[in-house]
Amino acid sequence: MKFQIAKEAFLDGLQQVQHVVSSRTTLPILSNVLIEATESGLRLTTTDLDVGVSGTAEAEVSKTGSTTLPVKRLVNIIRELPAAEIEISVDAKNVASIKSGPSFFKIIGLPDTEFPPLADFQDAKEYTIPQNLLLDGLKKTSYAISTDETRYVLNGIFTSFKEGKLTLVATDGRRLAMVDNELEFPASHETDFIIPTKAVQELQRLLNSDGDLLLRLSDNQVCFEIGSSIIVSKLIEGNYPNYRQVIPSETKERLTVSREALLETVRRVSLLSSEKSNSVKLTFGANELGVAANSPDIGEANESVEVKYSGKEFAIAFNPDFLQAPLRALGDENIHLDLIDEMSPGVLRTEDAFLYVLMPMRVTS
Amino acid sequence: MKNEHDGGQNQDETNGNQASSTDDVWGKVRGKLSEYLSADAFSRWFKNAELVEDDERGPAVIGVKSDMQQIWIETNYLDEVRAAFAEGASIHAQPVITVLGGAVPQPVKQVARGSVSDSDQVRVLKPGEEAPKTVALERKLKRMGINPEFDFDSFVVGDNSQFAHAACSAVASREGRSFNPLFIHGRAGLGKTHLMSAIAQQLLIIDPKAKVVFLTAEQFANEFIEAVRKGNLDVFRKSYRTADIMLVDDIQFIAGKERTQDEFFHTFSALLNTQTQLVLTCDRPAPEIQQLEPRLISRFESGLTVELQPPGFETRVAILQRKMDQWNVDLTDEVIHHIANLIQSNVRRLEGALTRVASFSFLSSETMTIAKVDDLLRDLVRDENSRQITVDSIQKAVCDQYDLSLADMSSRRRPASIAFPRQIAMALSRQLTSHSLVEIGEAFGKRDHGTVIHACKRVEQEIEMNPEVKAVVEKLIAVLQR
Repeated sequence: MKFQIAKEAFLDGLQQVQHVVSSRTTLPILSNVLIEATESGLRLTTTDLDVGVSGTAEAEVSKTGSTTLPVKRLVNIIRELPAAEIEISVDAKNVASIKSGPSFFKIIGLPDTEFPPLADFQDAKEYTIPQNLLLDGLKKTSYAISTDETRYVLNGIFTSFKEGKLTLVATDGRRLAMVDNELEFPASHETDFIIPTKAVQELQRLLNSDGDLLLRLSDNQVCFEIGSSIIVSKLIEGNYPNYRQVIPSETKERLTVSREALLETVRRVSLLSSEKSNSVKLTFGANELGVAANSPDIGEANESVEVKYSGKEFAIAFNPDFLQAPLRALGDENIHLDLIDEMSPGVLRTEDAFLYVLMPMRVTS
Repeated sequence: MKNEHDGGQNQDETNGNQASSTDDVWGKVRGKLSEYLSADAFSRWFKNAELVEDDERGPAVIGVKSDMQQIWIETNYLDEVRAAFAEGASIHAQPVITVLGGAVPQPVKQVARGSVSDSDQVRVLKPGEEAPKTVALERKLKRMGINPEFDFDSFVVGDNSQFAHAACSAVASREGRSFNPLFIHGRAGLGKTHLMSAIAQQLLIIDPKAKVVFLTAEQFANEFIEAVRKGNLDVFRKSYRTADIMLVDDIQFIAGKERTQDEFFHTFSALLNTQTQLVLTCDRPAPEIQQLEPRLISRFESGLTVELQPPGFETRVAILQRKMDQWNVDLTDEVIHHIANLIQSNVRRLEGALTRVASFSFLSSETMTIAKVDDLLRDLVRDENSRQITVDSIQKAVCDQYDLSLADMSSRRRPASIAFPRQIAMALSRQLTSHSLVEIGEAFGKRDHGTVIHACKRVEQEIEMNPEVKAVVEKLIAVLQR
């Protein structure tokens, strides 16, 4: 195998796939990237057995073939090379010679036959989704994914194709984020599944704002085809809990506020929320929202924001990080905050089909 | 919740049939919960929840209908549930939330047994009536954190423990009203916890309804801190002060924790005033617990103090023989005597040694010889011997640490680079050996006992002022005790 490639093109291609490779793998082959050189260019593939990513890079291939090379090391070398053009040749023993300008490297690879193949998606259900729709949905939900490994069904995004809608849900038991979007797909394709966090991260890296992607679904695996790139992931097995149960059916008070103003206020005030209680207190008055934080041994902060509110006066406390996360992910001008009382969850909504349920913190007075 | 209509109905019927005690407990807990939570939260998460009776996971097991209920309650309402159990029903246990229905990992056997009452889910969780009492008791004990194997029968009584054993059985049979508090002390692995568990067990056999509070001092401290943090101290207090008997393991743990000591003192006094039996264990005699308030020391000593000594040779052999019977292993007397000779200070280690020898002989089917035993127990024996910390070993460790020669320890030279390490060595000798001040002074170049006192004070001060010194001293202690 032998090819010539531009440094930047190779680096881009490798960086697309290298995140999947974990630094501590048990199998040496999983630290490697599979490089397949064909007449049309290079295909680069990595996997950690749960998630696999594959992308392409343009190259002038003078001799086709394939091999695997340690990806982290390869990236470090390519990044440091002095010239813009690189020539790589690999011998039958999987030893790669890298030439670029005056420098020469030799690194030892492993045979491509050892590389675990990505799953096969014949007879899979297919869905076409606009890339920006999925990217936007993931961005608005992924921060709420649980990291608690004992509740593994929550370690991913619940994805449901039902009733002409694509619904994405993430929750960690203290908050829940949900995005609903209309989408066309055959009625026979109604289903739901859980995409693990790692695949969600890879998706967010590879998705663009335009064009469509093709989602293919088999029994326990999912595949996303984004242009020439592919992400293949195992699904989380198990049933996602009934998230609708969490969403308050009736809320009493509604407050409307500028998203950015609220985000900035909370961010500033939370500088003085104590590590122990880690909460900010929101006090609702007529067209005014007071945000306050205090920690006994440090000090206190408060700030008021102009809002649209005409309900009863009361106060509620939230974890400032949990409150900021959706505000950061959203792009809307204004958001609505729907409330019942100081002990019931608050619901953050936008004009779109976005919803965020957040449990209040107990305030010990 | 419409789709759960059927389940709900069954629920109500069975609740009606069940023994009223469960209803009472759950009713009270529910009452408390509805006080603590908003109406919406209560009806959303607890309305169709129920108490699971006689579950091996504890007295506070709540059955719910959906995964989400379980997740949401576990992350958001566990504190309230715990408080509701404590205040509503005086049950102190970690609440467990479990999902009832198809996916419940309950033993299949019980389904078969309960099949008389058709396939009702709730019945499934009830244990069979014909189950032997001991099973229920064992479960209860485990729930309380008591090892069911620790009873009076399994305790091998020797000269070393005769008095302690007698005192404990008197307390357990409620003969020893004046033995209050009963203070059991002795070094690690001599059976303190065993005796205390035996008391709790005996009492529960005599009176299954007795409210036995059995916990370690660490648990007490943690729960106290939690209560302070949450601001529900009165719940905490009530829960302990209504006990019929309170058993606290490893009381030395509260040393140096002033607020905990204070709280413990009040609990302790309240219980003594109502003539409630108290049993405490400690790894040393009460006056030797450092940083313990004098008023607590005097309270601890106001009842009966018993000491557990390391077992004598005959007792050790008896312990080994009992264990062999229990495990159904057979070793020659020669081997048993040899093990008993090798391990002298600690029953737990003695049992560990037997386990090792027994399992080796079982797995290798070789005949055990003395040499083989020596080989197997080499590290245990080394440990056993190295437990004896001597002034010499301390001096050597300090010299290694500061790169001095051993002669410096007893020389008259007094540059700071030598004098301070020498003072550390003296302070450590004072702390880690049982030698008197005079003996220690002697060992450090015939110095006066006042010099040793001064050294101890100086090192103590330095430890407080200077974290580096603190780290070094801690490291030395760790090295010496290894």
